[in-house]
Amino acid sequence: MKLRLPCLAALLAFSGAASAQGLVTLYGVLDAGLLYQSTSAASFAPNARDTGKVYRYKDGGIYASFWGLKGSEDLGGGYKVNFKLQGTFDTGTGKFGLSDTPGVPAQFNQFATIGLSGPFGTFNAGRQIVPMVYAMYETDVRGAQYFGSILTAWLGMNQAAGWPGTSTNGPIGALYDSNALVYESPKFYGASLALEYAPGGVPGEFQGGTRESAVLKYSNYGLNLSAVYYNGHDANPMPGIAATGLNNNRLVYLGAMYTFRDFSVSGSYSRGKNPANTGRADYELYSAGLGYRFNPVLKATSGFYYLKDKNNSTNHSSEFAVGAEYSLSKRTLAYAQVGYVDNHGTMNQTIVYGQPVAPGESTTAAMIGVRHNF
Amino acid sequence: MKRIMPRRSGSAALIVLASVAGWILASETMAAPSEPSVASSAAPASATRKENRALRKRVYAAFAKDKSIDAGNIGVGVKDGAVTLTGTVADASQIERAVTLAKGVSGVVSVTNKLTVRRDFGQ
Repeated sequence: MKLRLPCLAALLAFSGAASAQGLVTLYGVLDAGLLYQSTSAASFAPNARDTGKVYRYKDGGIYASFWGLKGSEDLGGGYKVNFKLQGTFDTGTGKFGLSDTPGVPAQFNQFATIGLSGPFGTFNAGRQIVPMVYAMYETDVRGAQYFGSILTAWLGMNQAAGWPGTSTNGPIGALYDSNALVYESPKFYGASLALEYAPGGVPGEFQGGTRESAVLKYSNYGLNLSAVYYNGHDANPMPGIAATGLNNNRLVYLGAMYTFRDFSVSGSYSRGKNPANTGRADYELYSAGLGYRFNPVLKATSGFYYLKDKNNSTNHSSEFAVGAEYSLSKRTLAYAQVGYVDNHGTMNQTIVYGQPVAPGESTTAAMIGVRHNF
Repeated sequence: MKRIMPRRSGSAALIVLASVAGWILASETMAAPSEPSVASSAAPASATRKENRALRKRVYAAFAKDKSIDAGNIGVGVKDGAVTLTGTVADASQIERAVTLAKGVSGVVSVTNKLTVRRDFGQ
């Protein structure tokens, strides 16, 4: 049940004026479970040692727990002003999720946007989940979940490229971008386009810290197709190093998902690299997925993710994950999932977001949990 | 709001046209069996398959015209005019919308709804 509060402040402030009444919705999700994993590590360092089996409380088996506030004001003529404030938190500790700054959490680390929607499409400005992630989500049977999906495989690519996992600023692609300006076109016979530009705001360096991306999508005839081009400057900076506009983050992704009867199948190819120095980061990722819905309340999904280092053939990683979701009600579901990853060389592709595995070893993980929307 | 109205009446007109066209087609097929022939009775399996495919295409074409529905996540199964919708839509209101659109397509006899609401990324 979403709680709708009339925008009292706005009403009081403009009680004399004939303004359209806005609504603010308070919403969120709590997702928690128990995780078992056969190996672990203290960090994403390629030489981290195996700290052994882990059995723990784990937030976010499907996606992170979060809460948010959103609202819109109708301007007439099909135009609306929209805002969204949304941030993750850990139900285990109560702490907020990470921001772009290493080790520093942010209250609204997922969305802090103001935007306009209308016949032209939608435009949102501020920190937000970027279009490339939705493109991956729409072409992965596992839905880019936190446990064994295209998301964790893509994060595996980031870990291999040196992402320490202490901020949301990665070396290849992005889940969130700060200061982003994102335009999404309306659908035209199933086709749509999303464009992103995030100014870096670095004094004296126009290209410093900027991000730009384009996503082309097609959705009809039971088929979703996505093509992503993402490019970033001064991504994943080392502490104390000034932004110089170095073009060091690029991801190209092509994905497809097909739905027929109660089945869905997906596949994708992606290439992530450091265009300024390909010798430092150049990876390929292949994915395949298969899902089946047994009835309106029960579905099973599976995915296979293969990651390889183009610079060093000993570094490769294969992951297989399978999960079942059972809806207890419209707002609550229970889930169980199992994953297996075979990491070689210095690879450390994780099974579940937020729990590092030992690099170069095979790891099994299992998780049961509950996810509740409010 | 003003922009939406003409589109609604436009699609209403289309549905009316489609159902009229469907009625004409239906009356033609009903007239056909009065002249039975060996050739036509040998063909039905493939002819039906062809018809099923054509109807499936028309249902998807109806979805494509609707801005709110992403038919990339909808499976359309057709058997002798009986349509089964599987897969997901973005929100609950679109289930009804998809069923209504499918019912409005000429040649559709019945619609079995197995659609569920998709969980958006992160939601």
